Amino acid sequence: MNLSVEIGGLRLKNPVLTASGTFGYGEEYAEFVDLSALGAIVTKGLSLTPRKGNPPPRIVETPAGMLNAIGLQNIGVERFIEEKLPFLKQFDVPVIANFFGDSVDEFVGAAERLSRAAGIAGLEMNISCPNKQAGWLVFGTDPRVTFEVVSAVRKVTDLPLIVKLSPNVTDIALMARAAEDAGADAVSLINTVTGMAIDIKTRRPKLANITGGLSGPAIRPIGVRMVWEVFRAVGVPVIGSGGIMNGEDAIEYMLAGASAVAVGTANFVTPTATTDIIAGIRDYMTANGIRDISSIKGGLLWQREDL
Amino acid sequence: MSRFFQAEVTGNILLSQTHNILRITPLKPHPSPSPGQFYLLRVSEAMDPLLRRPLSILRWDESSLEFLIRLKGRGTLLLRNMPPGGCIDLLGPLGNGYPSAGDGETPILVAGGVGIASVYPLIGRLGTDPILFYGAASSGDLCLLDDIRAVTSNLYLSTDDGSMGSRGNTVERLAAFLDETSVPKPVVYACGPEGMTSALLRMLRERGIPGYVSLEERMACGVGACLGCVVETSGGYRRVCKEGPVFKARELGF
Repeated sequence: MNLSVEIGGLRLKNPVLTASGTFGYGEEYAEFVDLSALGAIVTKGLSLTPRKGNPPPRIVETPAGMLNAIGLQNIGVERFIEEKLPFLKQFDVPVIANFFGDSVDEFVGAAERLSRAAGIAGLEMNISCPNKQAGWLVFGTDPRVTFEVVSAVRKVTDLPLIVKLSPNVTDIALMARAAEDAGADAVSLINTVTGMAIDIKTRRPKLANITGGLSGPAIRPIGVRMVWEVFRAVGVPVIGSGGIMNGEDAIEYMLAGASAVAVGTANFVTPTATTDIIAGIRDYMTANGIRDISSIKGGLLWQREDL
Repeated sequence: MSRFFQAEVTGNILLSQTHNILRITPLKPHPSPSPGQFYLLRVSEAMDPLLRRPLSILRWDESSLEFLIRLKGRGTLLLRNMPPGGCIDLLGPLGNGYPSAGDGETPILVAGGVGIASVYPLIGRLGTDPILFYGAASSGDLCLLDDIRAVTSNLYLSTDDGSMGSRGNTVERLAAFLDETSVPKPVVYACGPEGMTSALLRMLRERGIPGYVSLEERMACGVGACLGCVVETSGGYRRVCKEGPVFKARELGF
């Protein structure tokens, strides 16, 4: 049985990654999960300088999901490299550093610094956080700006470069093509869906940030649909995410076109979610006589008349 | 011993319309908690409600753990209705509990509402006949009084509606007590609703009394990864699940 997949030149022993922001810097889950058993660890989003994040309350539960507005709180690339990366290097697992900036220069600066650190296997650019200010949102919602920022980062790194896309756009395939044209080695989607919840007794928003990003099983159909749209629009591998709770959900994403999947909110519900999902994928392969997991990628059966 | 474990529900005692005690028996050896620590309980196998519920540890022995639950929403309703014999999974013990009192210090325990669950394990562990201020909205919200009275006679009850103990809030009751009593080196251990906590912190600051306060915040992972449960402290944002839930009173601004 072959579970290994290739993402932009990066060989992963299985197709299960951690979604950025849901697995800390890896160490938080090391007592529950053998980190070496994962396809890759994608870190909490990093910026050139530390970020304080948003005021609380930062999360609220919603039907089959949750809203978050953490605000990209992080310790910055330097401290990550110094304090967190040595721990991760002990494990036989590729570390993908997720990063962001508030300007093209900051994106470039963070990518340069991370690329010089030994022990980072790949980079994932976050151009799609829903909890940033309006000016920032153009990175992930205007294809010309996406092209510009990805091109700039591409020039300064030889590491496999993944671009994480926002679902909060009219045409996600257009955004994926802009990233691919700018030199991205893979795209990952979806980031959270912008949402909002109100306490009707106090008439106050339930999040201090007012709006936040929706995640969990509630958004899975959106993610599956968008992966299918992007899979047909680009040639680079797609990493699917959004509400994956078990092996079957992961298979659903792969049938839609994902080469690999990222597990996020499920980690909060079940700390062993990632390895449980790897086991679930194996069970599906055994039950269906599948020898190579890549063989089901985009295996959705459909006809043009179905449209 | 893993902090993520399965357990059988071995008891569910309804105390009132709004409170119950859930007793569970872990199926495997599990790490022992300390006062003030908490667990995340999965309330349903379904995807909705999705997140675990954080609950302070009330009582424990080698074979079981007990949690005091106040009915608040869908999650606590499921925990109230959980039948004995069922299975539940837990994550814990989590966070940092209350430290012991120093030499010559007089611990004063302060509990508001269901905050008694967090403070309760201290009652038998911080010296003999400890001082406990315990307040709630109404007499029906005061739980475990017989058990508490068996351990201490220094119990000061108050209710907002005056239906039991003195009428008014716990912090005012404590302030009056401190005015009329000479307490050597008092140190406060407290858990309660936000209103009580902020009034208490203000009072402690004004009087220069040290203390430890357990905080509550909406929480997802419980292990420090999601950064969802932060509170503002003198050292910046701190995670209730990891650096807390018990904080030094002087670190908290309010």
